[in-house]
Amino acid sequence: MSVVELAGVNKAYENKIAVADLSLTIEAGQMFGLLGPNGAGKTSSIRMMMGITMPDSGSVRLFDKPFERKSLERVGYLPEERGLYKKMQVLDQLVFFGELHGLSRAEAHTRSVAWAKRMEIDEALGKKTEELSKGMQQKIQFIGSLLHEPGLIVMDEPFSGLDPVNAALVEKTLLELKSEGRAILFSTHRMDQVEKLCDTICLVNHGRSVLSGKVREIKSRYERNHVIVEFEGDAGFLNSAEIAEAKNFSGHAEIRLKPHGDAQKLLHEASAQATIYRFELVEPSLEEIFIQTVGGKSDA
Amino acid sequence: MRNIFLIARREYLEQIRSRAFRMSTIGLPALFALVLAIGAWSSRGAGSHKHFVVVSSNLALAEAARDRLLANKEHKPTVTVVAPITDDLRAELIEAVKDSAVSGIVSIENANGKPVASYTSKSAGDFMTASKLQSVLSDALVEERLSSAGFTPAESNTLLKGVKVESYQVKKDGAIVKSNAAASFWKGYVMAILLSMTTIIYGMNVARSIIQEKTSRIFEVMLAIAKPADMLAGKLIGVGAVGLTQILIWVVAAGALVASPLASAMLTGQFEVHFSLAEAVLFPLYFLLGYLLFSALFAGLAASCETEQELQMYMPLAAGPTWLSFSMIAMIMSDSNSVWAVAASLFPPTAPIVMFLRMASEQPPLWQIALSIGLLAASIWVTLWISAKLYRVGILMYGKRATLPELVRWLRYS
Repeated sequence: MSVVELAGVNKAYENKIAVADLSLTIEAGQMFGLLGPNGAGKTSSIRMMMGITMPDSGSVRLFDKPFERKSLERVGYLPEERGLYKKMQVLDQLVFFGELHGLSRAEAHTRSVAWAKRMEIDEALGKKTEELSKGMQQKIQFIGSLLHEPGLIVMDEPFSGLDPVNAALVEKTLLELKSEGRAILFSTHRMDQVEKLCDTICLVNHGRSVLSGKVREIKSRYERNHVIVEFEGDAGFLNSAEIAEAKNFSGHAEIRLKPHGDAQKLLHEASAQATIYRFELVEPSLEEIFIQTVGGKSDA
Repeated sequence: MRNIFLIARREYLEQIRSRAFRMSTIGLPALFALVLAIGAWSSRGAGSHKHFVVVSSNLALAEAARDRLLANKEHKPTVTVVAPITDDLRAELIEAVKDSAVSGIVSIENANGKPVASYTSKSAGDFMTASKLQSVLSDALVEERLSSAGFTPAESNTLLKGVKVESYQVKKDGAIVKSNAAASFWKGYVMAILLSMTTIIYGMNVARSIIQEKTSRIFEVMLAIAKPADMLAGKLIGVGAVGLTQILIWVVAAGALVASPLASAMLTGQFEVHFSLAEAVLFPLYFLLGYLLFSALFAGLAASCETEQELQMYMPLAAGPTWLSFSMIAMIMSDSNSVWAVAASLFPPTAPIVMFLRMASEQPPLWQIALSIGLLAASIWVTLWISAKLYRVGILMYGKRATLPELVRWLRYS
């Protein structure tokens, strides 16, 4: 079953085209990455999925039905521009969101407490939101969008403001939700997380889809001309004639070979000068694909 | 409907629990009472213990003026008579006024039947004393004329005794009841102030709350759960309920105070105020209608602003009708059925205040009350329709205040 289906969606504001002929499909149990530089049309696309704005043309379907507000009861949304009621207690706030999503007061209370424990913020339940750190507030918003057990979870930059420990906790939770069969759409600039979490991506630029499909398929379209080397000793081999570009992070090097560059020759040169612990020929990373595709013209 | 209720309840509880609510519930009536008490206390003592020197070339006239001044038991003045007056003595007296040894020189002459009087003091703005002297000296002059015509002081006093006008009101059923014009005026005035204050305060509360939500970026989270119209309706109902709660607390507190032994000792029966059932029903109704009109208007405008400072720019829209209503107060109290009074009580922005001022003077015809409520309800509907459109677009606009052409464009969006 397709949980989200956008077909030929267009949206323009004043003289600016925000989204142009965008089509995408997200299936149940899929983690979908909506990527693109700032101002590419990601948030506009998400807002149309959420019924916050309407497309000028094209169609939006949720849960295999044309868009209707009732479908939003099955959607959990964490927008990029997010906030909480600062003077409200955390528990009251979560119960309020739960009730708005159709839960009874008692059920919203029970689930809020359970989720707070799961996200390791139960000690904050009695505090006012304004007393909490940005990361804690972020987790409360995350919980607020999940209390009603949505079939579709839409998250715009879910990791912003989180430290590595909490980012890992959110990642783990998202993977658990995915394994429960929920469809997850998230938009981010963090390509490492997309690469780690997403099955499918859609890269938008200037409102248009410029690259879409399964992550593995997309990466396989690119030549394996990237090498990751972990080494100890002389880094002189990074000046090899086979290399177009190399980044050295103290014993961890990321190398792009020249067209028709010979990886075997490079391995030979490297092992002659340093002790090699890892030498792996890989496809380009999503970040490199991203930069190549949008032409390095991101306004981020 | 459920979302409207949930949003209204959240708004109500947050505001009721706030320190600002506690402060304004206790502070506003306390401040009001303090201002009234200070005004009454300071005016009671004003003008007391002054030293006047009455000068004239006519001793009998000067003494008549002195006796009239001394008859004022409330201000207990000291009065010295200098008659006849010479230029040297006048110069000495002016020095005494300059040195504050004398409060003022009251000069009265009646040469050839042409009375001339003046008051010379250090204060240029002492119009209250000058106005009191006008009546005192007029009486003294008449008394002196009567005395010259052979009337005794007792006869003069009888002739000069004033008359107190009692006012009666003919009710709709033809019954004639004694009325207290001053009490009616103050009742209408206080109710109109209360109405305008609460309407503006709570209308602005809605606007402020929208700006705070816009600043805290909660809107987009809410928009994925609730419709903008439900959010706006919930907010208006919640904040309006807070206003009604505050008015109810004030009414109950005022009732308890009036029924207390303290109040019966303070009120001597001269200032009885009665509230009719119509007033008891119409006051909260006009509050709600006035509040809804202003808050609906301000909700739309607030959605287009980034800060409370920007919102201040629109303040005259709220304050203008209030100023207009209060500027008509004298005209309304003297003729509550004049064309202008009726028109202002039907014109939605001024209707709540003006209708209450009219009701204090005379119960307006039922059809006028019904029409003013109908017009208010219709204007609320139109304002809400416009505001909901501005609100829907405005709450997602960050970064800058919308210009007027932009606001017009927003109205065209679906």
